[in-house]
Amino acid sequence: MIKKLGIVLLLLASLTGCQNSSMEPEEINPEIDVCEVCNMGIAHEHFATEVVTADGEVYKFDDIGCMEEFLEKESELEGKEEAKKYVRDVDSGEWVELHKAYHAFHPDFWTPMANGVVSFKDQESADRYVKEQGMGDVLDYEALKKHEWSWGQ
Amino acid sequence: MLKQPLMMTFYIVLLMVLAPVHTSAEELKVGEGQSIQAAINMAEKGDTIIISPGVYKENIEINKEVKLIGEDGSVIDGSGKGNVITVTASNVTIESLTIQHSGDGQENSGIYIKKANAVVLKSNQINNVHFGIFIANSSKNQILQNTITSYEAHFSKRGNGIHLFKGGEHLVEGNEIADVQDGIYFDFTKSNYITDNHIFQSRYGMHFMYSDEIEARKNRLDHNVTGFMVMDSARISLIENKVNDHFHFRGYGILTYEAKNVLVERNEILRNSTGLSLEYAVDTKINGNLIAANQIGLEFMGKNEKNTFTENNFIGNVVQTKISGNAMRLDDGEKGNYWDDYGSFDLSGDGIGEEAYKAGSLYDRLLRKQPYWQFFFESPSIKLWTKAESLFPSFGSANVYDARPLVEPAVILQEDSQQRKSPFIPLAAGAFFIVISLFVIVKGRKMS
Repeated sequence: MIKKLGIVLLLLASLTGCQNSSMEPEEINPEIDVCEVCNMGIAHEHFATEVVTADGEVYKFDDIGCMEEFLEKESELEGKEEAKKYVRDVDSGEWVELHKAYHAFHPDFWTPMANGVVSFKDQESADRYVKEQGMGDVLDYEALKKHEWSWGQ
Repeated sequence: MLKQPLMMTFYIVLLMVLAPVHTSAEELKVGEGQSIQAAINMAEKGDTIIISPGVYKENIEINKEVKLIGEDGSVIDGSGKGNVITVTASNVTIESLTIQHSGDGQENSGIYIKKANAVVLKSNQINNVHFGIFIANSSKNQILQNTITSYEAHFSKRGNGIHLFKGGEHLVEGNEIADVQDGIYFDFTKSNYITDNHIFQSRYGMHFMYSDEIEARKNRLDHNVTGFMVMDSARISLIENKVNDHFHFRGYGILTYEAKNVLVERNEILRNSTGLSLEYAVDTKINGNLIAANQIGLEFMGKNEKNTFTENNFIGNVVQTKISGNAMRLDDGEKGNYWDDYGSFDLSGDGIGEEAYKAGSLYDRLLRKQPYWQFFFESPSIKLWTKAESLFPSFGSANVYDARPLVEPAVILQEDSQQRKSPFIPLAAGAFFIVISLFVIVKGRKMS
């Protein structure tokens, strides 16, 4: 009995041991995951964003706007060493680091929290989206920093 | 003399040009094997198109004012692509049809209404679709007694039952919506009246986003993840709804987030993971609700301002209140609420306890920071802690209290529960049973 318990404990220890040390993003589970900021369930998985901190904490958001709101409050997570920030390419669902991503913005683009910012893995995809929709602008990381969020007004 | 008949013919020609000969509305009939779209194309404004029983594999666009009425067993099947029916004209009626199998693209719907007003959708069965009914930039539409379900998939892959995007002044009444993402989604829409709907087995029953002036009355929401999700909206009235059995691990009866002027009145909020939760709520009025048998009755998070609570009954919740936020008063200065774990007395006999009811505990605040401490729920140490805290109120948890707690549950009058049955039948039955038992006793005695 004790032996069995020992094995279980060992297993648990090894499970917790291989926690996110590489600061990789975590898969979204739409059944369970809710946005850290607005409590909404993450049903539109491709709009999800994540902040993964160096000490293994993963914060999930349903919309890039909620992540920005979170980061504004938790300013100690701003640096790259402290936390990596991820968005997803809306077409493929691929995780992309925020500073490498491109975004399309128009107030009428649908996003879960109506921030109107849709993320892409490269500039071509963002350009194509704006062209398809016939409206909006493409933002890179620098432009996104200057972006005025609807919740900030 | 010659001039007059000439003038006459001129007028007649003019009349014919201005007013088409089509004087009265006609009835067209479509039978199996024929095309409904062809009939619509042929129809004139105001015509009625009757659809005979059968399966019609078509994607239809209605771009003129017609009535589409299905006979029993008439099915329109979108073959899994696009919208099954798209409506782009005002005053269209769609009635008694089965509408199924839309595409699964972003806004693919059973019925998609685009910039059209005063459309009536009545008694339709909408199955196996991405969105049930999508209404964009339209107003004064009526959605009555429809049944809507999506396809077999996780809710994250489905669309909403009814999606109202911009526009407003819609009436949504008597619909049954199940197995969709969100039952009714209010997306930048205004002035809608939502009543008598039943929404179940979905993600959110009703989901308000950036919407204004909406009244939801007498709806039944159950077995969803969350009943009412009110976000970034204002002037939302939730009256006499039944919000029950939201047992999901992250489920709520009613959750408001950054909402203003929300009225929650005479609802029944039973058996949810969390009954009612407020975060960044301003000017919420919460009156006369029954909040019972939830895991957590009432939850406050973040900053909440100018909210009033009166005459609510908090009964049999495992955890009555969970508070992590700013100080707040839970009564309006005159009347408070009934808390079944209230331990003080009414000495003056006015129905109001002499000591304030204090909501929440220090433990709540710790839980917010250390969710895993839930493990110590109801443990002796936490109990001791809570007791110590109530003796030394300066211990530092947010000061949320009801200074006018009721000692008896408030009487909540719902219109439908008002009708009292006459006491005659139970009285007569009682008398009858007493007579029989007397008879048995007397007779039994004699026998022995």
